[in-house]
Amino acid sequence: MSDPHLDQSVRNSLLEVMGEEYPVLLDTYLFDSEERRRQIHAAMDDGDALALRLAAHSFKGSCSNMGALLLAGLCWQLEEVARRELLDQAPALIEQVDREFAIVRILLKSERQRYR
Amino acid sequence: MAITALPSGDGEELIIHIQGRFDFSAHQEFRDAYERVNVTPQRYVVDLQHATYLDSSALGMLLLLRDHAGGDQARISLVNCNPDVRKILSISNFEQLFKIA
Amino acid sequence: MPARLTILIAEDSPADRMLLSTIVSRQGHRVLTASNGLEAVGMFGQERPQLVLMDALMPVMDGFEAARRIKDLAGEALVPIIFLTSLSESEALARCLEVGDDFLGKPYNAVILQAKITAMDRLRRLQQTVLQQRDLIARHNEHLLNEQRVAKAVFDKVAHSGCLSAANIRFLQSPFALFNGDILLAAFNPSGDMHVLLGDFTGHGLPAAIGAMPLAEVFYGMTAKGFPMMEILREMNAKLKRILPVGVFCCATMLSLSFQRQLVEVWNGGLPDGHLLRTATGERVALVSRHLPLGVLEPEAFNASCEVQPLQPGDRIFLLSDGVLETRDSHDRQLGEERLLQVFSGGHAPEQLFDEIQRALADFRGEAQDDVSMIELCMVDEAALVRPPLLFSDSGQSSLLDWSADFEFRGEALKRFNPMPFLLQLLMEVRELRARGGALYAVMSELYSNALEHGVLGLDSALKSDAQGFAHYYRERDQRLQALQEGFVRFGLELMPQGAGGCLRIRVQDSGCGFATDSVCAASCVSDSLSGRGLRLVRQLADHFQLLADGSGAIVEFRWTAQA
Repeated sequence: MSDPHLDQSVRNSLLEVMGEEYPVLLDTYLFDSEERRRQIHAAMDDGDALALRLAAHSFKGSCSNMGALLLAGLCWQLEEVARRELLDQAPALIEQVDREFAIVRILLKSERQRYR
Repeated sequence: MAITALPSGDGEELIIHIQGRFDFSAHQEFRDAYERVNVTPQRYVVDLQHATYLDSSALGMLLLLRDHAGGDQARISLVNCNPDVRKILSISNFEQLFKIA
Repeated sequence: MPARLTILIAEDSPADRMLLSTIVSRQGHRVLTASNGLEAVGMFGQERPQLVLMDALMPVMDGFEAARRIKDLAGEALVPIIFLTSLSESEALARCLEVGDDFLGKPYNAVILQAKITAMDRLRRLQQTVLQQRDLIARHNEHLLNEQRVAKAVFDKVAHSGCLSAANIRFLQSPFALFNGDILLAAFNPSGDMHVLLGDFTGHGLPAAIGAMPLAEVFYGMTAKGFPMMEILREMNAKLKRILPVGVFCCATMLSLSFQRQLVEVWNGGLPDGHLLRTATGERVALVSRHLPLGVLEPEAFNASCEVQPLQPGDRIFLLSDGVLETRDSHDRQLGEERLLQVFSGGHAPEQLFDEIQRALADFRGEAQDDVSMIELCMVDEAALVRPPLLFSDSGQSSLLDWSADFEFRGEALKRFNPMPFLLQLLMEVRELRARGGALYAVMSELYSNALEHGVLGLDSALKSDAQGFAHYYRERDQRLQALQEGFVRFGLELMPQGAGGCLRIRVQDSGCGFATDSVCAASCVSDSLSGRGLRLVRQLADHFQLLADGSGAIVEFRWTAQA
């Protein structure tokens, strides 16, 4: 079953690879993502295109590893905008990223619950 | 460098053709040419028409052939020698050991 | 599947780092982690992992810089670096391959990662093998060079018992000569003649060098004992024939220069022409190879016959190894004989020729020669050369006094045997005669050749009036000696104490009239003739000289008084 927010086949192979450590991976990702979002906002506030680009790029990477494909795609767009230094287009994308992340976070937290 | 050996019809004579540089790298091939034949020739002919270069290792190889062919009893001719080859053979006085044509 | 490797993972995202760590350690490897480029470099230096997975963009120090530093630290060894990246631009990916060895995209694919690790490890081990083999080869090479150094040192000791530093010699020899198969020997014999040998062994390297040593030993040993050139040639040939494998031989030119008799004997087997230049006339005589090289023929078949040429002081002989004519220029053309002959006929002063030849070689080749051998010998007056004193191998404490011995050498013996070394060896047992060893050798040789040539063979020394007659004379000598059936040369040696010292009396007699008064006197009156020198010299060197009445012989005496 394909879920646009969290790809199930990715989830399955993560489960297989991580085994018992799967919950720890989820926790790590969630914690790290907060940091990434903070960096994105700070970069935007500072008007620092490069910092924004790097933070978006990083976030994109970990999201794709976790199967959060929509979110990864949004990060990519944000990265592109920052790369072209079109900072006026950034706030809208950042808002979308935040919203998508909110969904992913809920899904992952409930996933997390299953392994307590 | 290529070396071919052909026995005559009656097996009495073995003709060895040398093509290219007749130097130390020809050592094994030359030996094989006269050692790996089924006949026991009475006479040997070494055809140097297409030999481009001859050095002292080649002279050494000819001596090995002579030794193989019976030493003083050997009958070996060196044929179709170009002037350069002839000169080298002449300086080493090899006509005292081989028939040169 | 590679063995258990230690793999360093440098990734700044904790989740990604954790995921990758798990994937890699589940594949059986030991995992080290770093969260930025600087940590990665530090970790690498400490732990020396075999492989690195490096995130391209990291804080503090990015992946590319860290990768460069790690490659530096790795030195010659290959530490594969696989970049982790979700960069998609071709330039970025190309950069990954410039600095690193591969890249892996995100999301990570465990199967592909494993395949890449395997492939990279294969490359790593290949590099390791290459380095090991390179080191092995280098060590072997060092051993070989060392062996060659030792061989050369041994050979130098043997070879340098000679007189290449004599005033009438100039020579050029490569430091690699031994390993090119080139050999250059020169030595005085006890009568003051100079023997010279230029040799060129087939082959290269140690095998060529190995033949050179016994050859040098024979040359020096027999020359020192006073053996004539022909016997030395026979022995050198026999020795090489015996010890060298079939197909290995030594092309050589040997010379014997006699300053007393102002002539040179030449034997050339297999080398390009030597060149004799007569300074008075500018004439150039080619010393042509007429024999097979040394080590080819059995002793019975070997021909030691020499050519004899008269010389004037100032005349020069040039011998060159094959290497000179084989010299090639940048277009691979050979220098050849033509060019060399041009130098000789180029109108240069004789003393400049040696340098001119060297210059011609260097010009032709475009650089200095380092693999040719060349020697120039000049005929000089007898007195102009300093001879080293004779060497004796015993302490000279015991002495042989008060004895006499008679020898008669007949037909067959005269043909094949030169009794000089044997007789002289006997006389050198007399300690008191050693100081005059040189004179004794010279006198005995002269008396013997006079007895043999004029007395037994009946040759007329008047023939030796010019160069052509000279050649004719020596040809006749060879022929008559070959055909000799009867005749004899007698030596009577008597050693008597006399007062506080002693006296050696030598009586030489031949079966003919080798010492007939008229021919001797006539010859010695013509002071410049080529033939008169011999007996005049005997008169000079001996303490007493007397001809026998019937012209069949002579008596000489050497006297000494006891040392104070």
